[in-house]
Amino acid sequence: MPRRPASQFWYRPAGWTAVWLIAFAVLHAAPTQGAPLEYAVKATYLHKFAPFVEWPSPAAEFPGGAFTVCVVGDDPLGALLDRAVSGQEVAGRPIVVRRFATVTGNPGCAVLYAIGSDTEPVAAILAAVRGAPVLTVTDAVTDPAAKGIINFVIQEDRVRFEIDNSIAAADGLTISSKLLSLAVHVTGGSR
Amino acid sequence: MSDLALVPRGASRLWRLVPAIALATVIVLLTAGGLMARYVDHANARQEQDEVSAQARVLASTVTAALSFNDRRAAQEYVNAIRANPQIEAAGIYDAGGKLFAGYRKSPDVGLPADAQPGDPRFVGGRLIVAVPVTADGTSLGTVYLRSFTEPFALRLQRYGVIGLLMTMASVVVAVLGVMQLTQRRANEELGRRAEQLTMANQALEVQIEQREKVEEALRQSQKMEAIGQLTGGVAHDFNNLLQVILGNLERLGRRRPGGSPAAAAEHRLIEAASRAAGRAATLTQRLLAFSRRQPLTPKALDLNRLMAGLLDLLGRTLGEAIRVETVLAGGLWRVFADENQLENALLNLAVNARDAMPRGGHLTLETQNARLDEAYARGHQEVRAGDYVMVSVSDTGVGMTKEVLARAFDPFFTTKDVGQGTGLGLSQVYGFVRQSGGHVRIDSAPGQGASIKLYLPRFFELDPLDALDTPAPAPQPVPLGNRHEAILVVEDEDDVRNFTRDTLRELGYDVREAANGPAALEALERNPGLRLLFTDIGLPGGLNGRQLADEVRRRWPGIRVLLTTGYTRDAMVRQGRLDPGVELLIKPFTEADLARKIREVLDG
Repeated sequence: MPRRPASQFWYRPAGWTAVWLIAFAVLHAAPTQGAPLEYAVKATYLHKFAPFVEWPSPAAEFPGGAFTVCVVGDDPLGALLDRAVSGQEVAGRPIVVRRFATVTGNPGCAVLYAIGSDTEPVAAILAAVRGAPVLTVTDAVTDPAAKGIINFVIQEDRVRFEIDNSIAAADGLTISSKLLSLAVHVTGGSR
Repeated sequence: MSDLALVPRGASRLWRLVPAIALATVIVLLTAGGLMARYVDHANARQEQDEVSAQARVLASTVTAALSFNDRRAAQEYVNAIRANPQIEAAGIYDAGGKLFAGYRKSPDVGLPADAQPGDPRFVGGRLIVAVPVTADGTSLGTVYLRSFTEPFALRLQRYGVIGLLMTMASVVVAVLGVMQLTQRRANEELGRRAEQLTMANQALEVQIEQREKVEEALRQSQKMEAIGQLTGGVAHDFNNLLQVILGNLERLGRRRPGGSPAAAAEHRLIEAASRAAGRAATLTQRLLAFSRRQPLTPKALDLNRLMAGLLDLLGRTLGEAIRVETVLAGGLWRVFADENQLENALLNLAVNARDAMPRGGHLTLETQNARLDEAYARGHQEVRAGDYVMVSVSDTGVGMTKEVLARAFDPFFTTKDVGQGTGLGLSQVYGFVRQSGGHVRIDSAPGQGASIKLYLPRFFELDPLDALDTPAPAPQPVPLGNRHEAILVVEDEDDVRNFTRDTLRELGYDVREAANGPAALEALERNPGLRLLFTDIGLPGGLNGRQLADEVRRRWPGIRVLLTTGYTRDAMVRQGRLDPGVELLIKPFTEADLARKIREVLDG
C-alpha cells in the first residue's frame, strides 16, 4: 500500500505549528496532567497490539493465565491504564496490569511498557529483558539503542509508532503485517 | 386399391395425439424457461451477494489494525482500494461506536450513511448492501459497509430475453411440427377417402364397361342375325317362287298323264320323285324363312305342358333306347301365343340335336317353367323385353359346346356335324321362330358339361279357348272346283308364278284375268265389273303393293273378295299378325289343292 510521502506535510505552515506545539507540550507539560488524551490513547494501545503480535507460545503470551501488561519505571499512565484494560480481554483472557520500578529479567509480562527511571533507564530495562518473548514498548525515544520493539511517536498530532521488527524476530515474536503497515517506521523485516 | 393406407392404423391413434403433445411440450418448455430464468436470477443474486460479502470480509480483516489504532489514513487507503471493483458504488468503515471512520464513493453525488452496524445483506433500490463486522481476537472493532450495483434490470431482462427467445423458438418449432403433423394427417385422411372414392368409381366404371361390352356383343350378334336373316329371307323368297313353279308344273304334268300303261307308271314315279325332292327343297326353304322370321305363323294360345305330353310319344320313338327322356313340368303354367307346329318342330330339332350330342346315350330333360326376365337381364340382351315368360328347356348330358361354337350356334349353315349329316339350319330355325314369336333363346353349355337350350316365350294374357288343341285335324277333302261365272283377277309380277296360277285356276274351272302390277290390276277391274275375287301377290312393283291394291279394291268395290299371297309373311303379319276382315292370305309355295281350297273358301266365306 503506497504511503503518501511525508515531505508534503512538512512544507505546510500549519503542520509546523502543530509539531512545535506538541513538542512543547511533550517536553514541558507534566506527563499526567499535560496530555491526558495522549496517554489515554497510549494506555489503550498497549493491549490493542495483542491481536497483531504472535508470541512463541501461549505461556509467553499469557504468563500466569492472563494477558499481562507491565509498566516499568516512572508510570505516566496511572489510572488511565487501569481504566483502559478494565473489562477488556485478549483472546478470552483477562488483562492484568503490573507495575515495576526496575526489572532484571522478564518478570512474566506479555507487553512491557518501558518508561525508565533514573535508577534504571530505558536502555537498561530493554537490555534486561532482551531475548525474552515480550513485546517491549517505549515512549518517544530517539536514541536507537533505547527503542523497544514498538516506539510511540507523535505524528500529525496523533499517536503513531515505530516498529523494530528485527528485535521482535530476535525475541521470538512475529508481528502482523497489518500492524507493520500502520507503523511510521519499520526497522528490519518486511517494512 | 382399398389397402392403400397411408398411415398405419395402429400408429394413427398415436399420431392423433401429436398436436396435444406439441401443446404440452410448449407449455412445459415455457414453464421450464420461466423457472430457469427465476433460478438463474436467484442464483445470480446469491452469487453477487456472496461476492460482495467476501469483499466486505476481506476489507474487514484488512482494516482491523487501522481501526484498532485509529489510523484513518491507512483505513482510507484500504477503503480506496475498493475502487478496483467498479460494481461497488460506495464503501465505508465504521468504528466500534458505529461512526463513519473512512469512506469511498464512486462518484461525489452518492452518499454514505453516517452510522452503520453489521447486518444481513439486503437489496435496496437496485443496490446490494452488505455490512460485516470488523473483529480482532473476538473483539468487535467496527463495521465494513459496502454498497454494490446490482446487475441492471435491462441487462437481466436482456439475458432473460435471450432465454425467453430460445424457449419461444423451441416452442414455435414444436408447435409448427405439431401443426404440420395435424395438417399432414388431415391431408392423408382426405387422400385415403379420395382413393376409396376413386376405387369405387373405378369399380362402377368396370361394371359399366362390362355391361356395355355385353350389350355391344349382343347388338353385334343381333345385327349379324338380322343381316343373315335378310339375306336368307331374300334367297328363300326367290326359291319359293321357283319351287312354286316346279311343284305346280310337276303336279300338272302328273295329272295330264292318266295312269294305266307301264310307261305312264314309270313316268309317274319320276314325277313323284321330282316332286318329293322339290318338297324337301320347299321344307328347307321354310326353315330358312323361319330363321329369317319371315315364315307365315299361325299363332294361338297354347298350354306348353299339353304340347309336351303330345311330344313325348314322338320323342320316345325318335331318340332310341340309349336316351332317357325326363320331363319336369311346372304346375300353373302360363299360356303362350305361338304357332303350335313350329314350336313342335323347334323342340324336335332341339331333341335331335341333343341326341346327336350324346352318341353313347344319356339323359334328355324337358322342362317347363314360368319365368320372369327382369330389366337387368333385358339390358344385357339386346333383343329381350323385360316381362313374364314361359320357359321351355331341352337339356342333355352330352359333349357340350365350346365358346366358339356357342357364339355361332344360331348361324345358318353352321354345323358341328359331319358333311351331309346336318343342314346347319336346326338352331337357326329355332332362333328365328322364337324371335318371331317375341321370345328369347338362351344356350347354357360348356365342353363336357352338356347343354341346356331354353326357349322363353311371352306369357299370353288373352283368354282364348284351348279346345283347338283337342280338335282333330280335318280329314283331307277332294279339291273343290270353280265355274265359269266366277271371275278371278290374278296379280303377280313373276311371269312363271302368274302363268302357273292362271293355268291352275283355269283348270279348276274359274274365269281368270291377269295383271303384272297394281295399276294394271285396277284397269282390269274397271274393265271387268263381274270380277269376284282379287288374288294378288303382296310384293308388287309399280308403286302399288298388294296390300295397298287390296285396300283400294275394298274401298271402290266392296263386293270383291281379296286373297293375298306372299313368300314371306313379314309384310302380312306386320299388323299384329292379323289381317283385315275380308282379306285372306295364302302362303307360297302352295300346291294346287291349297290354292283350290283357299279360293273356294274365300269365295264362299
